[in-house]
Amino acid sequence: MTFSDLVRAMQVRFPNLTVENSRPTSAYDEGYNCIAWAAEDTDYWWWPDVMGQHYWPPDVPREETLDAFVRAYGMKGYTQRCDSTMEPGRQKVAIYVASSGKPTHAARQLLDGWWASKLGQQIDIEHEFAALDGPAYGSVAVVLARTAT
Amino acid sequence: MTTQSPSRQAPVFRRTHSLVLSANVLFAVSAIGASAQSVQLQRQLTDLSGYYAFPVSSRRDSRRERFRSLAQQWRRETQWVSSTTEAAMNPAYQAIIGMGAEAIPMILEDLRQNSGHWYWALKAISNEDPVVPRDRGSIKKMKSAWLQWGETKGLVRA
Repeated sequence: MTFSDLVRAMQVRFPNLTVENSRPTSAYDEGYNCIAWAAEDTDYWWWPDVMGQHYWPPDVPREETLDAFVRAYGMKGYTQRCDSTMEPGRQKVAIYVASSGKPTHAARQLLDGWWASKLGQQIDIEHEFAALDGPAYGSVAVVLARTAT
Repeated sequence: MTTQSPSRQAPVFRRTHSLVLSANVLFAVSAIGASAQSVQLQRQLTDLSGYYAFPVSSRRDSRRERFRSLAQQWRRETQWVSSTTEAAMNPAYQAIIGMGAEAIPMILEDLRQNSGHWYWALKAISNEDPVVPRDRGSIKKMKSAWLQWGETKGLVRA
């Protein structure tokens, strides 16, 4: 299956996604998810599930709230709320929420202004900011920044 | 998928019919002048004969097919999902949990062959968790811990 075929298949859940506003960067990998990938971790699957199955930073409430996710990225230095524009010297992560207010996804800004996302257990892609808005992930609720390291 | 050939199925059905027929004939003959309690016992005997005449392997196959179908549906519907909770609350995944303990060997075999986030289901059904806290979220280590757990209990082949 080509990336073009994959994008066509994904458009039911990601109606804004096109081959022009996204590009694939990895193969399928169930070992980590978008929340980990935004935190630059490819060894763990991050989620504050009630069953305690997956990794969640210690000292952050294990709950599916935007506040808990903001605090989780705060542990990685992302403490400043900001917009999605590219700013030299600052790294940014965006947290998506569904209409229910529950976090669904996170993406990390790249040096060219595009965003890096891991799509569930599926592939990593790079994409324009609004490319993943839609029924699957909702939309970005918060963008956080830290000083570039 | 294990598919039984017609040459293997035919004798089973002949035996099944034969057993049920025998029980029915026995019931019909012995029901003449029998007490209500005796009639009831004969009916139970007939039911049991029919039940046990069907091979257990056939029943397992239908459950295995149901598991495969549900697992496929779950993978298809949650492949883009990062939320552990959303993936676990998927109706197909919940239906697999609803299959109870008999699903565990099938889950472990699927885990061994295809991987997949089966950990919520395994914990929910078994009420056990062999994953040590420091390995939570490390999918390779979680998989290894659960397979070892299954091998120790004889639920999946080593």
